[in-house]
Amino acid sequence: MATEQLLPETIRTAVGLPDTVLGQGIAAFVGAFLVGSVMLAYTGVAGPWAKRKITAAFTDRIAANRIGPFGLGTIPADALRLLSKELIIPEDVDRPAYDLGPLIVAGSALLGFAVIPMGGLGPLNIQLADPESGLVYVFAVASIATLGLTMAGYASSNKYSMLGALRAIAQNVAYEIPLVLTGASVVLFTQSLQMSEIVAVQQETLVTIAGVSIPSWFAFVNPFAFALFMIANLAEVGRNPFDIPEAPTEIVAGYQTEYSSVYFVLIYLGEFLHIFLGGAIIATLFLGGAAGPGPESIGFLWFTAKIWGVFLFTQWARSAVPRVRIDQLIEIGWKGMLVLSFANLLLTALLVGVIA
Amino acid sequence: MIGILKSMATTMKHALDGETFTVKYPETPPEVSPRFRGVHKFSQERCIWCRQCENVCPNDTIHIVTDAQRNGEQYNLHIGQCIYCRLCEEVCPVDAILLTQNFEFTGDTKDDLVYNKEQLKSVPWYKDIDPLESREPDRGAWIGEGDGEVDYQ
Amino acid sequence: MSVEETEETPEIEAGVTVEDEVLDTLGDTVQTTEEHLNADASVVVRPDQVQDTLSALRDDMGYDHLSCVTAQEYEDRYESIYHMKQYDDPTQEVSVVVPASKDEPISQSAEPVFRTADWHEREAYDLVGINYEDHPDPRRILLPETWQGHPLGQDYDQDSPQIVTLSEWDNPLRDDHVDDEADTMFLNIGPHHPATHGVLHVKTVLDGETVADVDPDIGYLHRCEEQMCQNGTYRHQIMPYPDRWDYVSAGILNEWAYARAAEDLADIEVPEYAQVIRTMSAELCRIAAHMLALGTFALDVFGDFTATFQYAFRDREVIQNILEDLTGQRMMFNYFRLGGVAWDLPEPREEFFEKTRDFLEELPAKLEEYHDLITGNEIFQLRCVDTGILEPEVAKSYGATGPVARASGIDYDLRRDDPYGYYDELDWDVVTEDGCDNFSRVIVRMQEVEESAKIIEQCVDLLEEWPEDDRTIQSNVPRTLKPDADAETYRAVEAAKGELGIYIRSDGTDKPGRFKIRSPCFSNLQTLGEMSEGEYIPDLIASLGSLDIVLGEVDR
Repeated sequence: MATEQLLPETIRTAVGLPDTVLGQGIAAFVGAFLVGSVMLAYTGVAGPWAKRKITAAFTDRIAANRIGPFGLGTIPADALRLLSKELIIPEDVDRPAYDLGPLIVAGSALLGFAVIPMGGLGPLNIQLADPESGLVYVFAVASIATLGLTMAGYASSNKYSMLGALRAIAQNVAYEIPLVLTGASVVLFTQSLQMSEIVAVQQETLVTIAGVSIPSWFAFVNPFAFALFMIANLAEVGRNPFDIPEAPTEIVAGYQTEYSSVYFVLIYLGEFLHIFLGGAIIATLFLGGAAGPGPESIGFLWFTAKIWGVFLFTQWARSAVPRVRIDQLIEIGWKGMLVLSFANLLLTALLVGVIA
Repeated sequence: MIGILKSMATTMKHALDGETFTVKYPETPPEVSPRFRGVHKFSQERCIWCRQCENVCPNDTIHIVTDAQRNGEQYNLHIGQCIYCRLCEEVCPVDAILLTQNFEFTGDTKDDLVYNKEQLKSVPWYKDIDPLESREPDRGAWIGEGDGEVDYQ
Repeated sequence: MSVEETEETPEIEAGVTVEDEVLDTLGDTVQTTEEHLNADASVVVRPDQVQDTLSALRDDMGYDHLSCVTAQEYEDRYESIYHMKQYDDPTQEVSVVVPASKDEPISQSAEPVFRTADWHEREAYDLVGINYEDHPDPRRILLPETWQGHPLGQDYDQDSPQIVTLSEWDNPLRDDHVDDEADTMFLNIGPHHPATHGVLHVKTVLDGETVADVDPDIGYLHRCEEQMCQNGTYRHQIMPYPDRWDYVSAGILNEWAYARAAEDLADIEVPEYAQVIRTMSAELCRIAAHMLALGTFALDVFGDFTATFQYAFRDREVIQNILEDLTGQRMMFNYFRLGGVAWDLPEPREEFFEKTRDFLEELPAKLEEYHDLITGNEIFQLRCVDTGILEPEVAKSYGATGPVARASGIDYDLRRDDPYGYYDELDWDVVTEDGCDNFSRVIVRMQEVEESAKIIEQCVDLLEEWPEDDRTIQSNVPRTLKPDADAETYRAVEAAKGELGIYIRSDGTDKPGRFKIRSPCFSNLQTLGEMSEGEYIPDLIASLGSLDIVLGEVDR
């Protein structure tokens, strides 16, 4: 499949910027700005409003209903409220690290969206870059968040933050490997790390049942890998049953205990961005990227639906699944998930070897 | 794994049935039982200034001032300090102090919650429920007269 | 039924009373005997023979439950009373009275014999001022360490200000950093913490994520409830306060504790009709309290405001509406009166019965849902099974009661073993589990809800058919109650969290001379260390949740 024009290139040609480093740079910046804004807008909707409404639906409540239709006015009101709060910086914090932590958490998640093919919207093909090592890049930048969490927790000079940071490291190390290994099993099929290529491979028809052709999304090709990846992703984004780095009833709020105002918003945004990034990776690897019924020009909407679906799933799990204990988490990670993901990788390799 | 799926199915069922148990207060005012004990209402016409309510009050919420001839001058009730035990209503021989169903009251300071005679008189009925009516069937049983000393003044 | 029924001495047929046996066992240690309305025998022993006496009573006569330690000051002496019972038969009661001299109030500690004496004696020291020799940890417990004087002592000046010099408060955090050498970390869990169910402060020493030592620090919610009751008249003014001990909708159960003690003291009969209403309303309260326990426990294990918590609250709301119809209030009921209840069932009665029956009908389906949500959930089992182990022997030594004891296999329920109200006429079972862990405690509570529902159903049946001309809700009680001077009694009921006991000593006036509350949470909370040391922080939180403490009752 021929690579479509990427978003920065489209912008550059549309505006008529020269094909120089400067022109490309400006176009890339504008493209990144647009994509980043969309993603931040999603988190803005998700954090103060959607999360509340979803939780309320699961718990038989009404929730945000005061400002605007469906309480949507809560979003700007909450944004204003959070940003206008006093930024309290405790006495003994380790200054540069304390300030950088939230930035890294939020920034690293945004970086990941650079290579995600988000499908077409009208004439546009929303993807900022499509390097050959796209998947590796996504996994790499997504893990940087752990560094931010550690910095935040360690620099906060609070014992609860410290415990949260230690838990975050232990958890991320334990679940990063199954995550990458399961991702690798997809790569065995596609023979490519390039995100657009991974999506393209999934467009072929797997089977046709009663006239309905089921595409070869890897969630259908290898449901086992999909389940593994979903679970590892829950741990990666720190949601129930793996929300132990925050564990509100145990260690107050973990690494973010001491954060307030803007810094808190950054961490909060970072977390939601991570859920969406996780959703984007899952959509790309397992759910055929932007594929869906209808013309290709509404692909972005399908992509959006998919990442919100993953978000919904995290909230659903949160409503019903208890939190595991830290030692159990490590045990599940190293003794369960790791073994299963290796088995999955080996089986996939065998299958691919036999078929190919 | 089956248990986890069952749990998740249960919450999903609740999410999909669309029922809510919270209400949109104050647009939907809650139903209040006829016996509910809210802010007091005072009737000066009925009061005989016997001070039984003041005596029975467990935490000195009621404060009565009378002149030398035992004519009532002030009747103060700290509705912020009150524990709403309804003993004053129970001992009142003439139903001069009643607990209405009204639970909606605010004050900016504690002092705002010290109600004097006039404020107590103008406390509105909640949804027009007169507690005396609703409690009437049980009046005989409110309090046993009992043997022994009667501590009227 | 009358409250006196339980005081029969079972050994009468052999011609030997319990008192004789006790005197026989204790021999010369007994100086004299006293009369306590509740106890078969009340013996006075010297302050240096407490341990011998208590261990003799426990080992030779089976009095293995130190229910409560009451301390009080008289004009001429201090006195500690050890209220002893048997777990097998709580109607077997012995009071061990230990006087101590006025100028040097020193008494031997019972802690080596009963672990539960630790906190009870600390409280006695704190509030009354008796010093306990050999006590492992003679600190104040409810009041701050710097408090001056003992508020329930006779020469305590209520009006004198508490002036504490700055040096005594100099850097209260300093203790945190004493041990530089150790690899452990000191962590303050609470008083402001999402999982302490109120204002509990748990001083925790962590070794990594493992809990090395816990020391619950209580007293943040101390409201002088005992003193307030001592300043109220028996007839009216005390009854509103029990609602505020265990304030999470278990009010009527608490009111019953006071009602039972005071009715025993003043010899008041309660009409049978009122007893049925009491039983029904108390069990409604128990369901409400257990629902809350279940919900908050789920909160501790699931994290955040999860579905289980909200569903439990939704179901509790139904009970609160029923109770509101009946009592006029949703939590602070003030519904009992000495000799009965304040109100008959609300008119129209059919509506009330229907409402209650509807609730009972829906309950099994709701419980099924809870089983789907929590007890059937594998991760929940992973978290709760075999964590927070409380062995039966340890539980007994700490005086644990209620669901906590029953989940450790101790078959002890005052509703059956020391019957009051209408319980002995009804058909229901005491739930016990042998797991001794957090999971068992949850299961016990859920099954107790079912049993309570059974009781309520039978009560509703009874009330529906009760003849209209026999609906006496209050017996004829004097307007001013003045029990005989120096009458003493200690009476307990099965409250939501366990054995809630009240000790009252009358001084001949219309107000109690000494009013002592034996709170089940107070004793249950003591076991936290046993349950959580050596386990992980999440287990500590879960154990705390499974104990289902209410700080209002712990601190009183």
